[in-house]
Amino acid sequence: MLITGIKSRPVYDELTPMPSGLRHVAAGQGSGGGPLVRLLGVMTPEQRAVTTVLYSVESFTGRNHLAEIEGFRTAGLQVFPSNVEAVEGLDALLAGTTMGTRLYLAGSEGFIGTSMQVATRYGLNRDEVLREHAGSFVRRVWCAHCSHYTENVSRRVFECPGCGRHLVVRDHYSGRLAAFQGVKADGEVPGEMPDDEELDT
Amino acid sequence: MTTAHTTAGTAAGTAAGAAAGFTPDESFTPEGEYRFENSREAVRRMPFPFPDDDYMYSMNLEPHVPAGDGALRAAFDIDEHYVSECRHRAQMLEELPGVHYPALPHMLEAQWDLLELIFESYARDFPEHFTLTKNGNEWRWENRLLGLDDTFTFGDPSTLPMDPMEYATRQAQGEFVVLEEKDGTLVIGAGMTTQRADYSLQFNLGMSFFEFHGPVPKLHEMGILDRALKFLLRMKPGHPVRRVNWSLTVHPRLETSVETLPDWAPDRAKVTPENAGDLVHLRIELQPLHRLPRSNAIVFPVRTYLVSLAELVEHAPDWAKRMHRALASLDPELVDYKGFHRYHGAAVAWLAQHDDGAPLDTGYPWNGGIQPGAV
Ligand code: HEM
Repeated sequence: MLITGIKSRPVYDELTPMPSGLRHVAAGQGSGGGPLVRLLGVMTPEQRAVTTVLYSVESFTGRNHLAEIEGFRTAGLQVFPSNVEAVEGLDALLAGTTMGTRLYLAGSEGFIGTSMQVATRYGLNRDEVLREHAGSFVRRVWCAHCSHYTENVSRRVFECPGCGRHLVVRDHYSGRLAAFQGVKADGEVPGEMPDDEELDT
Repeated sequence: MTTAHTTAGTAAGTAAGAAAGFTPDESFTPEGEYRFENSREAVRRMPFPFPDDDYMYSMNLEPHVPAGDGALRAAFDIDEHYVSECRHRAQMLEELPGVHYPALPHMLEAQWDLLELIFESYARDFPEHFTLTKNGNEWRWENRLLGLDDTFTFGDPSTLPMDPMEYATRQAQGEFVVLEEKDGTLVIGAGMTTQRADYSLQFNLGMSFFEFHGPVPKLHEMGILDRALKFLLRMKPGHPVRRVNWSLTVHPRLETSVETLPDWAPDRAKVTPENAGDLVHLRIELQPLHRLPRSNAIVFPVRTYLVSLAELVEHAPDWAKRMHRALASLDPELVDYKGFHRYHGAAVAWLAQHDDGAPLDTGYPWNGGIQPGAV
């Protein structure tokens, strides 16, 4: 079973204003505040005036860009203590939006992935969303055996909180589940583990 | 390329499945102690996947036209294991609900397309076992092998006890993955996969052609994926294509999904050069792809044939020799990917005892290539 070098991972973009947008939603988390600040900086004042910003201060690396974001005049800023709440906030916001909305996402792969699940539910097309990865490479992992989702996994081998098995994280990514695949690490011979490593790509 | 010996219409009435009889009491699970065996005829009619002594991935797609009187005669082949496999499917669906049969809601039209394709094909190719009678949209379906005589309204889900795809594929041998065409690629929208070879359909649902092939080594670099996708996107209803694939499985275990890997992967460490003949099974996958007429979806069926190395030697000695050579020379990346790194040596050593090195014909058996050999 192939663990690394699998070609199913999303390819990320760089956030730049989408001129065709009538309204903009920019959502970020932790280090993702950096790309948001850059985006807001290159928007025209007219674009900023129709941009709603959502920011979660939850961060794996400890970066917080809230003060810089607050420096921009936008249509509104919503601040959340956690990524889960920010994604819920995005859900509520998109429920009330109209055609012509453009979405910008920045942060960890897990945050971008779960936000994309919401965006897909509201029928946003791939060309109406830009995604920029920022910060650490921690992953959201789905356990193939008990279906538990673990956020912020930073090692190739970890213990699943759902079923207690040691899982190896494959580079295989499912957009629908917004997660990488975790499979029993010592499946063939108990205790015989694959090499562990930091997930830094 | 294939030479067609019969047309679908004239092929009817000479079903090999009936002649061989059915073995309705088999098991493909450890709980049922893997009560499974192939008759000589069942082995010799298989779509043997090694045309040469060396094996490598290739663009092995050809028109799916009837060929020979074995597994390639019918549009969807059934054999002596049909009844047992249908029971195994029911058992798997009950044991792990939602894991083997996920379907996205917008695929309903494709589900009816698939039901029609399977039932029409079975009724045409095996009229002694299946009858489909249409009166407008009022359909009557008789499946004598499973003892069913049902009526329903085509296109009206409320007239069936379950999704049309689930209803039809619970009565079919092999797996069925349905894909929709979207943004120039094929995206998985539904699947009945109780015989998965080492992947997760829940995980793969919604993925595109390049994404779900992500774990396969070499395919991308060899340019096969690009060409295969272009080929599939040009497919038209009524012009199916097929390919074969293979792997190895320890025990005659049909269900080897990623989800249940903790249950079956330990078997890989139990193979020795002494027991490889009985434990190691060649797993042949016959994959006939069809474009569906109303939904424009594509169905990717995987009909799986399991045969132990010992059965190959006993019933198809030339195929056993060929398999020895193909396994012995197999690219290490494919050995790893297919998951038999641990017992590759044992399987080759066991087969080596039955290979005298005689030259063998090339080509697939149904195209006039390598035959099973004299017994
Ligand atoms: C659209 C229909 C198809 C579907 C749904 C499909 C699906 C799959 C899946 C799920 C796998 C396993 C990947 C994993 O390890 O996670 C696979 C493997 C593979 N596929 Fe496909 N496939 C399709 C068509 C094709 C075609 C047309 C070709 C080539 C012409 C092809 C070539 C392969 C090969 C070579 C492998 C590796 C098999 C092995 O070594 O055992 N596939 N496919």
